[in-house]
Amino acid sequence: MVIEKQDVVIVGAGAAGLMLAARLAEGGQSVTVLEAGPERKLSDLVSSQIWARKLKWSEPAVSESGNHKIGHAFNAGSGTGGSALHHYGVWLRMHEGDFSLNSNHGVGLDWPLDYAALAPHYDQVQAEVGLSGDSVQERWRPQGAPYPMPPLPLFTQSRLLARGFEKTGRHTAPLPLAINSEPYQGRQSCQYDGWCDAGCPIGALGNPLVVWLPRARAAGAKLEHDARVSRVIRSAKNAQRIESVEYLQDGERKTLQADRIIIAAFAVQSVRILLSSATEQHAAPGDHSDKLGRYLMTHPAATIFGLFPEETYPHQGVTAGQLLNHDDYDKKDAPGGFGSSQWMIGHAIKPHDLLGYGTNRPDITGAELAPWLKQASRHLGNMTLVCEDIALPDNRITLSDKVGPDGIAYANAHHDLDATAAARWTQRMSEGADIMRAAGASEVWSGPRVGQHIMGGAVMGNDPAQSVTDAYGRVHDIDNLYVAGPALFPSSGAVNPTFTITALSSRQADHLLDE
Amino acid sequence: MPASLNRRHLLSRSTTAGFFVIAGKWLWLSPQEAEARAFKPQILTPDQCKALSALGDALVPGAAAGGIAAYIDLQLQAGDASLLIGKYLGVDTSAQPGFYRAAADNVTAMTDESTSMQSFIAGMSADSLSIWAGPPASYVLFVLRADALDVVYGTPEGFDALGIPYMAHIKPEKPW
Repeated sequence: MVIEKQDVVIVGAGAAGLMLAARLAEGGQSVTVLEAGPERKLSDLVSSQIWARKLKWSEPAVSESGNHKIGHAFNAGSGTGGSALHHYGVWLRMHEGDFSLNSNHGVGLDWPLDYAALAPHYDQVQAEVGLSGDSVQERWRPQGAPYPMPPLPLFTQSRLLARGFEKTGRHTAPLPLAINSEPYQGRQSCQYDGWCDAGCPIGALGNPLVVWLPRARAAGAKLEHDARVSRVIRSAKNAQRIESVEYLQDGERKTLQADRIIIAAFAVQSVRILLSSATEQHAAPGDHSDKLGRYLMTHPAATIFGLFPEETYPHQGVTAGQLLNHDDYDKKDAPGGFGSSQWMIGHAIKPHDLLGYGTNRPDITGAELAPWLKQASRHLGNMTLVCEDIALPDNRITLSDKVGPDGIAYANAHHDLDATAAARWTQRMSEGADIMRAAGASEVWSGPRVGQHIMGGAVMGNDPAQSVTDAYGRVHDIDNLYVAGPALFPSSGAVNPTFTITALSSRQADHLLDE
Repeated sequence: MPASLNRRHLLSRSTTAGFFVIAGKWLWLSPQEAEARAFKPQILTPDQCKALSALGDALVPGAAAGGIAAYIDLQLQAGDASLLIGKYLGVDTSAQPGFYRAAADNVTAMTDESTSMQSFIAGMSADSLSIWAGPPASYVLFVLRADALDVVYGTPEGFDALGIPYMAHIKPEKPW
């Protein structure tokens, strides 16, 4: 089948790509989405942490280096929905100060827009997706419309953990979630069984399969799966325009022409595609000032666990957790390190898999294990710290010398954690252990520091000499090439990025339709 | 694998159950069923399977009977579609067979019937084994223990053993 020239080709069927597909198709544009992975349906979302690994990025592997790796295989997704198909649904707004990090603190980068520019899109998107939360209790929340649904009910584990925050003079509020606390726009409410990481097949969690895909398809957008993009090709007549996208599908090398091309293939693969598009005559699109691939970020994060005398029933609830603490979020300059931080409190948890409580006690083996697991299965509490990463130019995505059998180069991702950000993480983890003890835990331990979420690599900015795209994601040196998704982020804040990714995409969609 | 059943067919049915060679015949079995019926591994050697079973069972009792060797061997056959936890840890799937072979060969070389498996595990944990070759022993230990947890406690039966309601939206085809 030959696909006619499209108004828009979008690379990547994740949160950003499918959201843009829906909005642009509804705006009358002809849209085709090229997705590297397979088609995913709700019926594929089997309740098993082992089966859930199918949803994560597989091959080609991303080679990682540095003292704080980005965890690409765990954080990225493959197939319809992308990483948002297995995301936990924590939808938090970035704070005002996150947008002016360099101006305010002399580190990292500024965004080319401020919170006020994104606020209407946060409001619009939360109404479309459906968020549950309590904007009044969430005392740290930037200005915005109240959540369309009340918060999820609070389970035993979270009530116990809240005690620790209260006793240490801290506050908690319901964690804002893209999970239905009540039926919303034809989608049912959550059943609190903790299988979010395996993908929510009932439509309670607002993943792209239930929010954007039906709208995109209804408006006529087409999806091509197992279509792995190798590069974008410049026009022979005008080097400032991209003429087509080249991709591999069914063993064939194909091209698809479009007036506008949007690369929304998550941070690493978006950069890989752009870097692979260099020619003998031209640098890679967006690499005019050697900024493409740089400023790669991942939140330093870790989970703290505790055993309680009370029964906590930690299998109940949602993977994301139920409560939030942002008391220290805006204290980026506070002594002890640098950067914002947040606590997500009271995760529903399983005994095995990478985040499971059994996996996070490697010291317990043999005959001691089963009794300990039985105890933990009823008495465990856990909460996760997320800290800010700082954009550094030497943290970067590059092309590997290794080339796959399909001729496409693999990607390398190097990431070192800034010493001040690492110090902040250490400081907050120590405080977290105190909070856990104050809550009444008799035994407290923590998992390793991991990279949570992936951002940067094709950062937006006003100065073409310092950034890859403008404030709407248009690649500075190309008239019709855009980047969407977390690759655009010039700073990470310490909040989960999906809400901001989607709000940015909403702003892009409006801009593209107005052009 | 039977010629009439290609890899895509296998993966479309399940990757936690699969075709195993039992007494010269290909049979569709879960890993614990394969283990119980003395399967013939396709990637690992029988000795390597024996070593991984012994270590896995010492880490997480029940892993040998649960079919940890068959589980690992089957997932290694799946290549890019492997569901082993190493996927999350950045272990390239093409490197996974070598990883498990090296782990098993280390166990075989450094243990015998007189070895206390718990003291061997303590040595792995501390990376203090003198002749260990390949990836760090503590890392291998973490991965194998996670595999063993998958096999024993990553299933509805495993949840039941811990007194946790499984509460599946969509129950796995094979209740591993």
